[in-house]
Amino acid sequence: MKIKISRHYLYILLISVFLFLFVLVFSFGLLIPKGKEYRESRLELQKENVELRKYQNFYDKTFKTLKDLQSKNRHIITAFDTTFNPDRFEKKYKTFFSSLHVMKVERSKDEEGFATYEVNTTSKISSPKNFYNFLDALNKADWIIGVNFPIDFKREGEMIKSSFTMKVYTNNKDKNSTASGSVAK
Amino acid sequence: MKYSYIKPRKKTPVTPELQIVFTFFAMTLLMLIATYSFLLYKDYTFIQDKQSIIEHKKELEASIDHMQNQINFIQKQKALAEKIFTQNMVLKDSIANLFDLVPQRITLSRAQLLKNGLILYGITPNKDVYNFMLQAPLRSIFHKTYSSFYPAKNGWLMFVSTNYMDESQTEGLDSEN
Repeated sequence: MKIKISRHYLYILLISVFLFLFVLVFSFGLLIPKGKEYRESRLELQKENVELRKYQNFYDKTFKTLKDLQSKNRHIITAFDTTFNPDRFEKKYKTFFSSLHVMKVERSKDEEGFATYEVNTTSKISSPKNFYNFLDALNKADWIIGVNFPIDFKREGEMIKSSFTMKVYTNNKDKNSTASGSVAK
Repeated sequence: MKYSYIKPRKKTPVTPELQIVFTFFAMTLLMLIATYSFLLYKDYTFIQDKQSIIEHKKELEASIDHMQNQINFIQKQKALAEKIFTQNMVLKDSIANLFDLVPQRITLSRAQLLKNGLILYGITPNKDVYNFMLQAPLRSIFHKTYSSFYPAKNGWLMFVSTNYMDESQTEGLDSEN
């Protein structure tokens, strides 16, 4: 039996076979591996996105915590940043005393990583109550100040002469420049 | 001389069948190449997106670290400030208690509050008033109490009362604060 195919149809058949082979090779050699890669990349990107969202959420949470902390402790933060000014201190707190003198601002050793300055103070008060009011006001001061021992109360006629040491705490960043310069009187 | 009444058909290798086959082939190839190009493009954008996500993550990480440091620092400031404020209040109460401790019949001329002690100078009508009304409460507070007297011009007694606490106890109080 002899199959008779015209030359024309033979060409078509050959081209079809070639195309078929090309499609097979292209699909299995390039398209399918690339498709797999695409799917993996997409999954990976999704994972990265999820992780990024977690980071973003944590960032938002931390940012909120920081802002809350900053707004709740604004007075403390500002007070630690403010360099001590003896003149301003005298002006502000002389109302509690009959007379107030702030002397000698000296750098002392750091405490808990903060720079500290010792300030000697002499004052005259008419009653211990004035001193209590001063201590109350000190906690709302523009600086972080602690009254230290020794405290000396001496009777002078109707007045009480008091002398005591105060410790001013500031941030340590200005250790070598602003603090030493601005605190020195 | 014409042998036929119809015009001869032009013979061409691109027959209509071949045209259909070529169109079909062209469409198939186009679709394949388009799909592959799409995948290539997507792959490229994925790489770009991933890169930008990684960079953004790094930026966020750095910001979070910076904020954490700030939070720690503020908490440290807050802790120290609160400690100082408490110390000031404790000091105020201590001074108030000291002045409350002194009875009306005894007059103080000087009081020195030390870190681990108290020195009082004053005048008392007699030793008994001093011993019962001032020394007794002082003894209950301090570990060591020394008193010395010398006569005043008006017949009363001037006194110096020196009172100390044990070092270990004051250190303990300091660390508690």
